[in-house]
Amino acid sequence: MISEKPNFLWPTNIDHAATKEFWEGLQRRQFLVKKCHRCGEIFFPPRSHCPHCLGNDLEWVELNGKGTLHSWTEVNIAGPEFDTPFLLGLVDLPQGIGRIVAKIVEAEAHQLKIGMPVKIIYADVHKDLSLYRITIDQ
Amino acid sequence: MKNRVAIIGHGAIKIGKYPDRAESELAMEVIRLALEDANISKEQIDGLFTTPDLLGNIGLQTNQLCEYMRITPKLMAEVCCGAIAGGLAIRHAMNEITLGRIHTAVCYGAERESSIGWFKDFGSETGSTMLEPVALQPYGSRGVIWAYALSARHYMHETGAQEEHFALAAVRNRSNAMDNPLAAFTAPITMEEVMKSRQLSSPLKLLDSAASLDGAAAVVVASEEFAQKVCDKPVYITGWGQYHDNSCFVPTDGCSKSLSSFVSTKQAAEEAFKTANITPDDVDVAEIYAPFSPHELMIPEDIGWFNKGGMITAIEKGDTEIGGKIPINTDGGLLSRGHPWAVTPFYETIAIVKQLRGEAGKNQVDGARIGLMHCEGGMLNNALVIILKTD
Repeated sequence: MISEKPNFLWPTNIDHAATKEFWEGLQRRQFLVKKCHRCGEIFFPPRSHCPHCLGNDLEWVELNGKGTLHSWTEVNIAGPEFDTPFLLGLVDLPQGIGRIVAKIVEAEAHQLKIGMPVKIIYADVHKDLSLYRITIDQ
Repeated sequence: MKNRVAIIGHGAIKIGKYPDRAESELAMEVIRLALEDANISKEQIDGLFTTPDLLGNIGLQTNQLCEYMRITPKLMAEVCCGAIAGGLAIRHAMNEITLGRIHTAVCYGAERESSIGWFKDFGSETGSTMLEPVALQPYGSRGVIWAYALSARHYMHETGAQEEHFALAAVRNRSNAMDNPLAAFTAPITMEEVMKSRQLSSPLKLLDSAASLDGAAAVVVASEEFAQKVCDKPVYITGWGQYHDNSCFVPTDGCSKSLSSFVSTKQAAEEAFKTANITPDDVDVAEIYAPFSPHELMIPEDIGWFNKGGMITAIEKGDTEIGGKIPINTDGGLLSRGHPWAVTPFYETIAIVKQLRGEAGKNQVDGARIGLMHCEGGMLNNALVIILKTD
């Protein structure tokens, strides 16, 4: 079924200095997070300042995108840009950056179990925008 | 707390939809009701504090109301901090009274969520820009229901709770709302009806969820000295706690944070009990802020009335019903009273004041002397707890 809905929203910081590289990374199939030169903290979402030491001398590092499913929901109520239902997952990433939320794709609700291994994959939703998704890591 | 401050009057309208009435009109109505209840005149209003009116009068609503009501308060402020705003407006009044700058204040909120509200239209840009752009905006549905759903599923995973337990909390709230003239939803419901209601974000269904609606409410706050002159039964604010626990359901500071127990609620409650010099078991009646039914189970555990998972048997046994160990949301809670978000803490406060003054009608908790009001802003990472008491 081909949907007429975009199924995404334009992120408000796609052109911001602190985050532009992240969005470009998704187009290259890279999941980039920030590392602080001053204290070594690795953090996500990417922002202008380190949440640990508040420094702003930062570099980009790439994560391997492997994690475990912490919780999930089947969403039936969403903005008009989205087809429903869709699956949404909360994922623990092991590399020290906390949790991420993303659409779960290529999986059915009955297959999902808390604690199962999952991985980040990518979807080109527009010629200028790619997003990260999660799927079961077989 | 020294220099005690009391709530001496309250007024509110039935929560619902008021498409043909302005916020200022709703505000004047509830302020008049609150002044009449307190038995004071509008000339005695020293302070006027309100909740945000983000899409309406760009911060000028107190100015407008002063003109509409021909009053000249010494102090005014519009207090904005997510859905705890109503509680913080009361806090602001309390501080100014404690500092001796004013004797009385009216704290009010008026919202028309169904017409111009923040969450009225899931398609509006406003609903998504509150979310972190990289982590949440393009992926999640708008609003916050998905986050509460993720939390609910993890609570089920940890404790063995079933969706039926959440449904029981919704049924308890509805049963209480049936006797509350301010509640939006008063038709009886059964557990089966909750279970069969439309799924919104699994495991949450329509009847597990609070509806964003219009409402207006006001309370009159006064110094103890003033209160004792005009009021037979002042309700004193004796405890206070607030805590913000940085990130929330999507923690950015590590993977150890619980989705089903909240540091902010625990810390705010602990501080409130400490300042009031009481223990959780001293509380006779409580209002908690649970926009979805699973949090009717989690929050009482965090406040300290039950162990983790203890609410499962408590909700089955009726421990949180009127006559139980700790009656909770005796006026219907967010689920059945309805939820004009920033005004909700006023409705919760009024429910407690009525209980402590013995005005709760069929829902009266016998001999209630100490009440607790809990509210939160953000996504369960910014909590506020107030203890109220009659002498």
